[in-house]
Amino acid sequence: MWKTILRRFLIMIPELIILSMLVFLLAKAMPGDPFLGSINPKSSPQQIHHLMQANGLYDPWYQQYWNWVVHLFHGDLGMSYEYKEPVVGLIQQRGLNTLWLALFTMIMTYMIALPLGVYAGKHEGKWQDNLVRVYTYVTMAIPFFVVLVLGIWIFGYLFNLFPTAGSISPTATGFGTVISRLTHIILPGLLGALFGTVNIVQYLRSEVIDAKHSAYVKTAKSKGIPMKDIYRHHIFRNSLLPIAAFSGYSITGLLAGSIFTEMVFSYPGMGLLFLNAVNYRDYTVITALVLLYGFLNLLGTLISDVVLAVIDPRIRVE
Amino acid sequence: MNKYRKWAVMVAMTVVPLTLAACSNDQNATVNPNKLKPSYSAQGSSDSKANQGTLKLAEVNNSPFAGISSPTLSTNAEDSDVFSPGGEQPGSVNSLFKTDSDYKIIDGGMANQRIDRNRQTVTITLRKNAKWSNGSPVTAKDIEYPYEIIANPNTKSQQYSSDFENIKGMADYHAGTAKTISGIEMPEGENGKKVVIHVDRVTPSMQYAGNSFIWGSVEPYAYIKDVPIDKLTSAPQIRKKPIFTGPYKLDSMVQGESTSWSPNKYYYGKQAKIKHINIQVVSSNNIAAALKAKKYDFTLGGLGANNYPDVAKLKDYKITGNPGNSYNYFGFNLGHMDPKTNQQVTDPNMKMSNKKLRQAMMYAIDVNTPAKKFGHGLTARGNTLIPPIFKDVHDKNIKGYSFDQKKAEKLLDEAGYKKKGKWRTQPNGKPLEINFGVMQSSKTVEATMDSYVQNWRKIGLNVKYAGGKPMEMNSFYEALQAPKQDEMDIYAASWSVGSEPTPTQLYGADAAYNMGHFSTPENTKLLNSLNNEQSWNKNYRKQQYSKWQRYMNDQAAYVPETYRTDWVPVNSKLKNYNSDAANNQFWSNLEFTK
Repeated sequence: MWKTILRRFLIMIPELIILSMLVFLLAKAMPGDPFLGSINPKSSPQQIHHLMQANGLYDPWYQQYWNWVVHLFHGDLGMSYEYKEPVVGLIQQRGLNTLWLALFTMIMTYMIALPLGVYAGKHEGKWQDNLVRVYTYVTMAIPFFVVLVLGIWIFGYLFNLFPTAGSISPTATGFGTVISRLTHIILPGLLGALFGTVNIVQYLRSEVIDAKHSAYVKTAKSKGIPMKDIYRHHIFRNSLLPIAAFSGYSITGLLAGSIFTEMVFSYPGMGLLFLNAVNYRDYTVITALVLLYGFLNLLGTLISDVVLAVIDPRIRVE
Repeated sequence: MNKYRKWAVMVAMTVVPLTLAACSNDQNATVNPNKLKPSYSAQGSSDSKANQGTLKLAEVNNSPFAGISSPTLSTNAEDSDVFSPGGEQPGSVNSLFKTDSDYKIIDGGMANQRIDRNRQTVTITLRKNAKWSNGSPVTAKDIEYPYEIIANPNTKSQQYSSDFENIKGMADYHAGTAKTISGIEMPEGENGKKVVIHVDRVTPSMQYAGNSFIWGSVEPYAYIKDVPIDKLTSAPQIRKKPIFTGPYKLDSMVQGESTSWSPNKYYYGKQAKIKHINIQVVSSNNIAAALKAKKYDFTLGGLGANNYPDVAKLKDYKITGNPGNSYNYFGFNLGHMDPKTNQQVTDPNMKMSNKKLRQAMMYAIDVNTPAKKFGHGLTARGNTLIPPIFKDVHDKNIKGYSFDQKKAEKLLDEAGYKKKGKWRTQPNGKPLEINFGVMQSSKTVEATMDSYVQNWRKIGLNVKYAGGKPMEMNSFYEALQAPKQDEMDIYAASWSVGSEPTPTQLYGADAAYNMGHFSTPENTKLLNSLNNEQSWNKNYRKQQYSKWQRYMNDQAAYVPETYRTDWVPVNSKLKNYNSDAANNQFWSNLEFTK
């Protein structure tokens, strides 16, 4: 087991190197430069030229790449051209905002989806099942940004129940900051959870149905074990397999952020950061973020595999 | 006063999924911009309880603000908006001077300015009681330090330009060969109140705030001196706990989201009446709904015209307005830039070199109809390259190019662009295909551009989008800024303008932003005359501005498309809201009424 994990870690190194080179090259291949967006009658072309030179943006790509790698190993991902502060600090700020929101959304999603999936599977073909199915299909069919816009309009503006912008109130202090943070993520988090359950519910439902008709359940039934216990100890656990396989990937999701949610709720997270970085050609931020996402993806795959191996002894690699 | 907008980017931002404004049913409301006033004042008596509360403001923007409080280092309008209670007007932070409505510097601000034409000096004298919000006095060094930050060889500031080399010793300091700027003298010492700036030549534009020679704001030297200049943008003194000279001090800030303020007891002017101000970034998609829910008292950062019909009918708000500080324009590709001399060279044999062709193209398009339909009266056809925000020099008598397709066809016939089949050909008989460069933008802007193309095709001009479709903003400017390009024959773009009208940086023979490469001796002569010895005389200056506008109108190398009216909804309970440039007590004057 440990050998497998170690091997997977070692493979990640060349993968990350290739990824970083690709990202670096692609970012540079985009038209424009970080200072193009700020051209206006008062900003002088000479000074922009000077800044381009000072930032080494005229150097050949391999030289820029090498400089970047050297800095990377000193924990320095450079300065953001747009925000004019260290990229590491910027990602920390935004990453934390995104993490809270995504964590809350994820927990709520599982809390809603797991019982629903089992419930639908248990009542296969009955009205309860149909009800759950209608719910998941309706939530899947409505575009998410419509949900967000309607949600903020109804609960934020019309009924004034939740804050409508930002991640925290500017005047919150002490314990109030925790409460303020929480109130800011409840609405976007709940909307995300209520409308993001379809995959889990449907997977879980079909797994439960499969398990219900499997030999071990029949055996358990014939032994006279109560249905409640069969569900708890046999069906539920086995049905979780495909969901566990996804769990690793949700790690990436935790830090990727959602552009729609962040835009509608003016919530400064990673999604908007990435979008702006691409728009403004903020190279340092683009490369740092893509590399981070790449790393998280690889890590996510690894975790998924490990989790699967833990739950299901059959797929352990020797 | 120093409003720098990421205009090029703003226009290109298109990631707007759906706006709440779409919930409205009356999309046809229009406004007569001449009726919008920059000020509003509720009539009732002042409400002392409400004044103890919070003034809630929305900074309308689709992304978090960068959070650089220093006007010397900041490069975007969002930062100057969210930190403006630390200055005296929206969009200005730590400003030195008071101005009149035309942005001309007058006495009565934090400092007064005297220009000595004989000695070629500019003397800035601080008022004795000018203090920072931490209680320490504003000093002569605080006036000088911005120049060091701007010109330091390692600076992160983007403000340096060759105009600053008019100050003696500035070039040496910028090159790193001098430790100080010899031309900036502090006769009473660093802690004194007076600064004398020695220049090669004083120019009339120095009388106006936001000119490119004299910096208009201060930096707290004593507070930030321990931070190396290249580290300033990320220093906590600038990012987390900045100090200000205006009527409010910063209590707290959430990076990228909001700022919160309370009155600064050290402010030299009138004490603020409202006890707290919160400024929060709000997405342009939500702002109409947020105003409907009365979440904010007024907005900063500019509202799109598409929000107007929804907001205008809200009973709790009064709409105020100002001529916008930007304009859209067309440019024609007329030559190239000589990379050796950095001079723009107009080439007589370009596709668009014929003046009558350019004029015909401008007469051929109907600017007013789409402007009215999409702009609700807040955008209108522009007539000259000096927008009406510069009341004293904008020439409103110039007609510009009003929609007249017959005239356009006549001009083309006269110039020899005869119709052969569907399309007109060049006078030499060769086919004429015109490439029109536009940027990706909102649906309404793209629809407007489509309608212009149809206008042109109707009179037989074979106009196509350069590259086949609207271009991504970065690609557009990269192509346009090349010394020579043949991708676009005509292009549509925008400029934001500061508070000083000199157009030389955009249209001068050595201006890098003269991207259509228009350069004639007459143009150079007229541009120089805007800031020569005689133009200290107000009437002469006005007359020369008028001559230049007429000349540019006739040449049609650059033609304005539309002007914009900036509009702000103001809580109808607010008293003394006045966004005129002359009101340098903007924040202190505000109060709530019953």
